[in-house]
Amino acid sequence: MINEKVPILHIDHLQKRFGKFQALKNISFDIYPGEVFGFIGPNGAGKSTTIRTILGILRASGGQATIFGKDVFKNAVEIHKKIAYVPGDVYLWPNLTGGEIIDLLLKLSHDQHSVKTYQLIKEFQLDTTKKARTYSKGNRQKVALIAAFSSDADLYIFDEPTSGLDPLNEEIFQKEVLKLKAAGKAVLLSSHILSEVEKMCDRIGIIRDGKIVETGSLEQMRHLTRTLIKVQTRLPVPELSTLPGVHNLTVEKGNFLNLSVDSEQMETIMNYLVQKQIVSLQATPPTLEDLFMRYYDSTNGVSHDGK
Amino acid sequence: MVNEQFKKTFFLTRFNIKRDWLKIIIWAVALIALFVGVAAKFTGLYGTQTAIDQIIKTLKTPAMISLFGKMPSGPYTTADVFASEMTVFMTIVAVIMNFSFIIHATRGEKETGTLEIIQSHSVGRLSNLSSALLENFLINLVIGLIYAIGLEFAGLTGTNTNGNFLLGLGLGLAGFMFSTIAAVIAQLTDNSRSATILSYIIFGIMYLARMVTDISHPQATWYIPLGWVEKFSTYKDNNWLPVILMFCLSFVMIFIAFTLNNHRDIGSGIIATRSGKSNASPFLRGPLSLFWRLNRVSLIVWLFGLMILGATYGSVFNTIGDILKTNPLLKQLLNTQAINAANILIIKEFLAILMIVFAILALVPGLMLINYLKTGEEKGYLELIHSKQIGRLKLFNSILALAIVAAATIFFAGILGLYVGGKAVMKHPIALSIFMRGYTGYLSPMLIMLGISVCLVGWLPKLVVLNYGYIVVTFFIQYFGKLLKLPDWSKKISPFGFINQVPVKNFDVSTFWWQIAIGIILIVIGYLGYRRRDLLIN
Repeated sequence: MINEKVPILHIDHLQKRFGKFQALKNISFDIYPGEVFGFIGPNGAGKSTTIRTILGILRASGGQATIFGKDVFKNAVEIHKKIAYVPGDVYLWPNLTGGEIIDLLLKLSHDQHSVKTYQLIKEFQLDTTKKARTYSKGNRQKVALIAAFSSDADLYIFDEPTSGLDPLNEEIFQKEVLKLKAAGKAVLLSSHILSEVEKMCDRIGIIRDGKIVETGSLEQMRHLTRTLIKVQTRLPVPELSTLPGVHNLTVEKGNFLNLSVDSEQMETIMNYLVQKQIVSLQATPPTLEDLFMRYYDSTNGVSHDGK
Repeated sequence: MVNEQFKKTFFLTRFNIKRDWLKIIIWAVALIALFVGVAAKFTGLYGTQTAIDQIIKTLKTPAMISLFGKMPSGPYTTADVFASEMTVFMTIVAVIMNFSFIIHATRGEKETGTLEIIQSHSVGRLSNLSSALLENFLINLVIGLIYAIGLEFAGLTGTNTNGNFLLGLGLGLAGFMFSTIAAVIAQLTDNSRSATILSYIIFGIMYLARMVTDISHPQATWYIPLGWVEKFSTYKDNNWLPVILMFCLSFVMIFIAFTLNNHRDIGSGIIATRSGKSNASPFLRGPLSLFWRLNRVSLIVWLFGLMILGATYGSVFNTIGDILKTNPLLKQLLNTQAINAANILIIKEFLAILMIVFAILALVPGLMLINYLKTGEEKGYLELIHSKQIGRLKLFNSILALAIVAAATIFFAGILGLYVGGKAVMKHPIALSIFMRGYTGYLSPMLIMLGISVCLVGWLPKLVVLNYGYIVVTFFIQYFGKLLKLPDWSKKISPFGFINQVPVKNFDVSTFWWQIAIGIILIVIGYLGYRRRDLLIN
């Protein structure tokens, strides 16, 4: 296994400018072996630009990006030996069949059409005799996914890979990614499907306006945000709304309270509620979606008390 | 019901014109400038009767008939010379323009998926096709009218208003007729590539048929729609019958296209895409074999197309190389040997023009291949390749190698066709070595032309189309240079102008090498740009 302390992908203050438009302002993150890194952010935030820069398709205007310790632009060819990539929009040559394209892509990475390839084709239920012209978006993605999963790489990059897949195929995708993880591979997964990211990713990077605004594990991120609490108490709780860290307090009939609580104030609030004799209590950890919404809402920007 | 089918046609037409306006303007300005510009120059060139008589003698030779069409009978004025030089040529240019517009509007839209969005709105089933046809009709009508008015103002000796409008509107209508033909073909195929290839095959067949009948049986040209433009007999008879025929054929084609359109699904064609192999052949293993695989059909069509074009021209060498036909008096003045030598010289001179035409035609697939580094990138087809262990240099070299080999081979096929065709009909065939002299002679300017495209792809990918324009200018200067008495320097603006009439004259080794050197330098410069720039993303 590769040394787990050394990142496979290392990005340090990466910048990219298209003419006057600064697409990437400040991107930094690392991906380690055996790790699935979720890359999320609104449309146009710079996810695909980051990925294309990592792949040496675009030339960075500042900062540094290395894979296996090598510069992504200068040593692109060497690096690509150990990379598998599935673009966000898969365009395939219309007059070749899916099967021909899979084989070609494998040969280009010096891999073979193996038993694994055969199994993947069967699992994804792809008709490989059809010309790419006739494929739907999902089927085009399957072609690229099959080629990627059956090639032997150390870093797998998926740019919104499941946006055209049905739930069954999405599950196959997730299963395959977990296998890669178990095998100690590094995976960069850019996605909009938050449940997918939540389920599979060890760490997450949130990008907005060309900047990474947050990185860390979901647990760490949750810590930054609030837990939703639905509580019923025997005694009234007049002071609750004045306590620090309490937000969005609403009262339903039967003395049911809905509120959200800052993680760091959890202890105080719970102690207070216990004094008021809890009848029932439901706590929901913030979903990635809640996190996401907070960071995405660009009109409010990142703030800890706004909604 | 009928109205429903065409709902929003006018709206879509306006939308199309808005979308295409730049392309429309460039084509229209180029065509009008060419036509009216030549007209304006003509009185100066062929104002005197002696000048007219002289050029008429040339235009009446079979060689010139094969290139420019049949002359009506005399006596001749400046206007007659103009009409016979320009009619066939302007039709060819119009056909290229019309194919490009109609296939883009009917097939290109389907491929990008925009048509699906439009069709999901309250738009008639036939509206897309009818708006595309209407757009083409308007473009041709406006260009035709400006031709006619331009001729009125140019005031060539021997023109009349009837003839001016016949020629102008007739040329416009001829263009439109070909867009209706392509519209039918676009319904048969399910992608723009096949539609383009098929349309040009049909056009090519008509062109060859027109050439052969012009030389041997001018009456038979009536059977060929492309030949109708010659039958205007502008300024002599001012015959409007061909215009009526064109209208009729266009209506029939439009009717067929609508019927076909009504009987198929959006996005599909009558000729369906077949399934293929589920595995790649061992041969398909890298960028070079991929590019060959992607383009093989069109390259093979180019190869055989040029070979057939060559063979057809070759098959009229006996008529062309018969000096006695145009000048029977020579029989008394010269002995057989001298007459033979004169005949061979005529053919060689004709060959010098043909070879440039063939070289330029063979360049088109070469340029298209090189431009794929830009177009393929733009459409996203190359993104998967770029993520592989394929360096830019390898990708670049693969496409360049294929482009050079393809252009050289296709050019060779054309030359071979000329040789074989000529050999079949001539009593004293011209030696293959003379053809080969011409072949090697034009390889070096071809390399420069490919090099220019490489440079554009590397440094100014947005402007790759410019090189097509340069080729067209080159073609025009070489083709018309003598007839329009263009100044000598004009030839030197293109690398082809430095190849001094090979194979009439000898092949110049030093020219060959300095041109090859320039070609290589351009390629290296292009690569340096390509290596360091961003790849295009859609």
